[in-house]
Amino acid sequence: MTLEMYLLLSAVLFSLGLFAALSQRNLIAVLIGVELMMNAASLNFMAFNRFSVTDPATGQVFVLIIIGLAAAEVAIFLSIILNLYRQRHTIDAESITELRR
Amino acid sequence: MTVELIVVSLFVVLAVAGGVMAARSRQILYNIIGLGISLFGIAGLFLQLGSPFVAAMQLLIYIGGIVVAIVFAMMLSMAMTIDPPARSLPKTIFAAIGSGLFLAGLVGLLNNTTFETRPTAGDEAWAVSRIGNALLEHYNLVFETLSVVLLLAIIGAILIARRDRTPA
Repeated sequence: MTLEMYLLLSAVLFSLGLFAALSQRNLIAVLIGVELMMNAASLNFMAFNRFSVTDPATGQVFVLIIIGLAAAEVAIFLSIILNLYRQRHTIDAESITELRR
Repeated sequence: MTVELIVVSLFVVLAVAGGVMAARSRQILYNIIGLGISLFGIAGLFLQLGSPFVAAMQLLIYIGGIVVAIVFAMMLSMAMTIDPPARSLPKTIFAAIGSGLFLAGLVGLLNNTTFETRPTAGDEAWAVSRIGNALLEHYNLVFETLSVVLLLAIIGAILIARRDRTPA
């Protein structure tokens, strides 16, 4: 596979994640969309790392950092979801509208 | 060569099909399974791109950690038993238009750009020890900062999610 094919695949994955994050109502599904977008970004890093970088350790370090940050983000997001469910008994993104008034 | 091509296209199909499943389904369990399939495909592509270490980390942390954490959150918040609310049609249409425009922009950008490619480095440059050296020498500050961020995320998650035990 060439570099352009990897970039195209990553663009498709990013758009799928964006669609999920925009259209889903369940907050966990929104989180899944964000994870898809992050993976598209790491795929881009790895593709450029393979095809146009002289020191391949750089892109791999970037991807490892992305994975670590994603783990931290998921921990915070899931704890917020749990707290929300405990107080409101819903995790529907469209029913949390206090700040809109 | 042909076997390699078949395996790579299998991983590509897994990544895209999992992504579609994660993005389109209304059942949260299918979303999570789709995410796992997509992550598995991307890990295979990492392997193909020459980095077995990052592929293993993707499998361990993403599929073994993050997906399992999402499954636990799904079980604890009873998202399975709640009937999934129907998505309103205008919202889905606008989301499709938005992400479709984004995809079209990216593809147009790809068509109009010529990327400079270099021959890839030799095998010893891809060794795992090089990643370790890079993390602890050149990217030392990033590495330490990431460890502090992870610690803060753990403490913050505990603080947010714990039940308030003080009597009201």
